[in-house]
Amino acid sequence: MYPFYPQRDSLLSSLDPRVKIIGTALGIASIMLYNDPKVLLPLFLLFVLVGKYLGGISLREQLALMKPLLPVVIITIVVWPVIYKPRVMGLLFGITFAVRLLTFALLTFLLLMTTSQRELILGFVKLGIPYEFGLTISIALRYIPTLYMLSRNIMDAQKSRGWEIEKGSFITRARKMTAVLIPLLVASLKTAHELSIALESRGFGASKKRTFLYDIRMRRRDYIAMGIIVILFALSLYARYGLGIGHVELRY
Amino acid sequence: MIRVRDLHFAYDGREVLREIDLDMESEVVALVGQNGSGKTTLAKHLNGLLKPTKGSVEVDGLDTREHTVAELSRKVGYVFQNPEHMFFEETVFREVAFGPRNLGLDEDEVEKRVKWALRSVNLEGYEDRTPYSLSGGEKQRLAIACILAMKPRYLVLDEPTTGLDAKNGESVIRTIERLHSEGHGILLITHDMELVLRLAERVVLLHDGRKVFDGPVEEFFSLDLHDYGLDKPEVLLLGEVTGVGFVRSVSELVKALAGDGE
Repeated sequence: MYPFYPQRDSLLSSLDPRVKIIGTALGIASIMLYNDPKVLLPLFLLFVLVGKYLGGISLREQLALMKPLLPVVIITIVVWPVIYKPRVMGLLFGITFAVRLLTFALLTFLLLMTTSQRELILGFVKLGIPYEFGLTISIALRYIPTLYMLSRNIMDAQKSRGWEIEKGSFITRARKMTAVLIPLLVASLKTAHELSIALESRGFGASKKRTFLYDIRMRRRDYIAMGIIVILFALSLYARYGLGIGHVELRY
Repeated sequence: MIRVRDLHFAYDGREVLREIDLDMESEVVALVGQNGSGKTTLAKHLNGLLKPTKGSVEVDGLDTREHTVAELSRKVGYVFQNPEHMFFEETVFREVAFGPRNLGLDEDEVEKRVKWALRSVNLEGYEDRTPYSLSGGEKQRLAIACILAMKPRYLVLDEPTTGLDAKNGESVIRTIERLHSEGHGILLITHDMELVLRLAERVVLLHDGRKVFDGPVEEFFSLDLHDYGLDKPEVLLLGEVTGVGFVRSVSELVKALAGDGE
């Protein structure tokens, strides 16, 4: 059902979802503070280690999750030196943005891989975000594997009609993809329509205030974790603005 | 001839098909079994969508491991269960022409084949309609036409009548009967035992990834089908009770009984 979250025993899994959501947000904010790879790379490695030792997510799993981003990372590193002069600075920014992107993805994965869908929605709602928003996110996540299976099935159907995606130039192949994208789009719209009927027929939106079968409570360890996260974020703010570490001036 | 020898197929380390042997010529073969028994997995081996982990599948002498699905599509046509999973063109004509064009045929031949395929499924005059605007039965027949236009010798039909009303189901059945009489070998994947009784000459029964029965339809219906989660059509029981014996449909039974009365 839920693509990212296998039940695991780890410190991060046992924390309150609110702590993890805020932690992820502050983590992302902290990487936006710096643009010097000398700071960003260690920060990235730090988050990898957090994932491994506090989240119980092996390095292999983390690599597998970041692998799909490889093309974007390479393009970023290659394109910046081409359009930005002097080239050394361009390379620097290319690496900066690539590392930021990876860290951004890593932090999001850490949140998704250590939090069940139910807790995630509950966390968002308790933080004041409307329930509909949380439900939308969870439905989107829920349908990733379904749509994947559907697209596989459509591809099989088209292959049976002599459709070959492997042949031809990039443009030919892109045009060939319409044979998959259109049936996929039609099927997705139908599914969405059916889902909305199913939701309404089960009384979705009938009462303004929702109650929950399972509740979450902040325990002492959650407050301690929250405190540590806030202190670390304050330290990174101080390092950036008080000590001036980790920022390289843009020179035109 | 389709020749399957000692076919094994494993998915995620789990064996889904085991020791399957199967020969098929120009006949109507029903492939039956419970959900998850491996029917679709076996059928997808016939046009190379899946390749055996062990054993071999040969279609008119072509080993499916050595040929792409596109190459095999000239021999084995696979009509998927949901016709909407293949429609993407603006008109019925272009939809049917997609397959032949992929085979690299010239436009004259493509046009000839589209006309022929649409006539075969009784959809003449629909050339300029939009595939998605057709009724359920018309969509199913259009899906068959899309595959027919590639002139495969063998056809795999996955639940071709499921979800259709009696009239639309009937027109699909008649299409299948005609294709068979024209010499196509047809593999029919279905749960509908009435359809099996009506159309099949031979039945292949899968259970837990193994072939447990392969023989004439009369013999198939003398098995204890409850063991395999299947039901006997009621007309067969009527035939037994009235002493007529094996009949394929109610009208056949009525005819036999009326003949007795004379």
